[in-house]
Amino acid sequence: MRSLATYTEVNAEMEDILIVKDLAKWFPIKSGIIQRTIGYVKAVDGISFNISKGETFGLVGESGSGKTSAARSILRLIEPTGGEVFFDGVNVTTARKRELRKLRRRMQIIFQDPYASLDPRQTVNSMLIEAMKVHQIVSNRSEAHERALELLMKVGLSEEHLYRFPHEFSGGQRQRIAVARALTVNPDFLILDEPTSFLDVSVQAAVLNLLKDLQKELNLTYLFITHNLAVVHHMSDMVGVMYLGKLVEVADKNAIYNSPRHPYTFHLMAAIPVPDPEIQKEEVLLMGDVPSPVNIPSGCRFHPRCPYSTDRCKREEPALTKTKGNWVACHYDIDFQIGETRS
Amino acid sequence: MELKLYKREVLGLVGESGCGKSVTALTTIGLLPENAYVLDGDVLFKGENLLEKSKEEMRILRAKEFATVFQDPMTFLNPVLTMETQLEEVFMLDIKALSQAVIKQKSLGKNIGYSDFLSLKESGRSSASDTKVSKAEIRKIAKELYIDVLRVVKLPDPERILHQYPFELSGGMRQRCMIAMALARRPSVFLADEITTALDVTIQAKILHLMRELRDVIDASTLMITHDLAVAAEIADRIAVMYGGNTVEVASTREIFKASLHPYTKMLMRAIPNVANPVDRLESIPGTVPEMINPPTGCRFHPRCPSAMGKCSTEAPKLKEVVKNHEVACYLY
Repeated sequence: MRSLATYTEVNAEMEDILIVKDLAKWFPIKSGIIQRTIGYVKAVDGISFNISKGETFGLVGESGSGKTSAARSILRLIEPTGGEVFFDGVNVTTARKRELRKLRRRMQIIFQDPYASLDPRQTVNSMLIEAMKVHQIVSNRSEAHERALELLMKVGLSEEHLYRFPHEFSGGQRQRIAVARALTVNPDFLILDEPTSFLDVSVQAAVLNLLKDLQKELNLTYLFITHNLAVVHHMSDMVGVMYLGKLVEVADKNAIYNSPRHPYTFHLMAAIPVPDPEIQKEEVLLMGDVPSPVNIPSGCRFHPRCPYSTDRCKREEPALTKTKGNWVACHYDIDFQIGETRS
Repeated sequence: MELKLYKREVLGLVGESGCGKSVTALTTIGLLPENAYVLDGDVLFKGENLLEKSKEEMRILRAKEFATVFQDPMTFLNPVLTMETQLEEVFMLDIKALSQAVIKQKSLGKNIGYSDFLSLKESGRSSASDTKVSKAEIRKIAKELYIDVLRVVKLPDPERILHQYPFELSGGMRQRCMIAMALARRPSVFLADEITTALDVTIQAKILHLMRELRDVIDASTLMITHDLAVAAEIADRIAVMYGGNTVEVASTREIFKASLHPYTKMLMRAIPNVANPVDRLESIPGTVPEMINPPTGCRFHPRCPSAMGKCSTEAPKLKEVVKNHEVACYLY
């Protein structure tokens, strides 16, 4: 745990809007009539990272690696088991109800499934106005209406859409509405949890462009969560790679993609299918499947699948340390090259 | 909708959700739901029109010639049967070939594997044998075959998997089991409908690798349905692009990526982020995927097409060969 704090200390700068320190979320597994806790699903098991203002931090990992649990713990939509989260200097993890409500005005989240995240019985107008009312953003009805319209235009929809219900919209339009709703409270920070994975590719591009434009215009900070590595590369400045509830590598996006230093990152990057038949990739395949987060392997959690693992990896858990520009949690310093040749 | 699948090739059928990729596959093998019927057209397989066949004929044909693997293996594996029972169901259809295998094994005095079994199936269909083979012997050899076929799809510890239920397997393992069951039939046509969509990238890479390896083993034509152009680029020889129920472009994978002609294909290429060739801004296609209840008239892409002209909204363009082996359905050419 000490090393993780080091990461935060080294990187703590004034412009960091979000600091996550040793964040953990364990879900108890209950069994029997008296519902005794017999174990824990360690969805997030001590992660630390910072996001500078106006930047996009991409969090990638395979299903079950704890990305979404991390995001929800940051906002305290679920209570974290341990660790601390600072947002603009305020400790989110210890904030009381009233404080939290104030913080939530500045931190918003957009969920993956726009078919589930919008209330089917509310029109777009009432959805947007409700959010403004809850956070007391506007003083009267006409102001609320004006603002709702302005937000709708901002996300590329028009006045005619204001009085429609969610079922009248396509997936891409729904996601735009979700963005507009998140923006009603003038947030500084948005968590985007797989915002485009429900969308078709031709629509995905438009939503990604919208998010980029809004970031520039409103100086937003994003935490972008996705399993789509090409999308995260397109969107992020910094990228953190999660494996079984831990960050195994954090670095600048180009460093992560071109010169990864953790064996898992390397395999993950090499597995991205490239939409270009002329590029011949070297095939590097990973052994086995992701283990269950109930029975986390000893030592380095990646060791059963790692082609470089040694006895030390089985015993000792590596700390996230800085090696050649990347923050890596590996005992060994290995140079990886993503093998790509043009034919 | 027009499509040709050549012998031993991998054809990637690419399109967005709701464009009719899966319906195409289901029509081909006669598995459309009750409320759907084929309006017009033919499905020709080895010179025969499949749409004129009776249900029973199609059932036999499906068992013999077609193998299908779908996106979500959990819905296609029986959750209350072990993998052994499920494999047994498929292998026991070839009881003749199995008894042949027993005879051959006796004469050779060594175990025969999956590939030997395949060649027996080819030759054994005609030559009937007099030698009686007991059920127990067939069972025994079948079990060896299950294990071998699970090895062919690179499943670790096949003996254990035989005794496991689908829920005990991971997504990637289930998909391998589905592929193994498909292989058991030695199909001529392999329909792979979004087989990697539900999987993580590292597992996807392994399944794609397996599919490439299997090409030589199964000696079949593969129709690889996917919404992911990058996946198609990794595995297909040719790519057919579908939009709103029509084939809009068919060409070799290289041509599609380097010299695509249809405006939709071109725009689609620029709309996907590419790690190997990053851009600051993606180009998006205006509008949304058409509703198939009320599709646009004429060329179905015309409401979203930047080069649409008068003719496009009234008359649908036909697929025609513009460059050698490169077909496009667009009035620009």
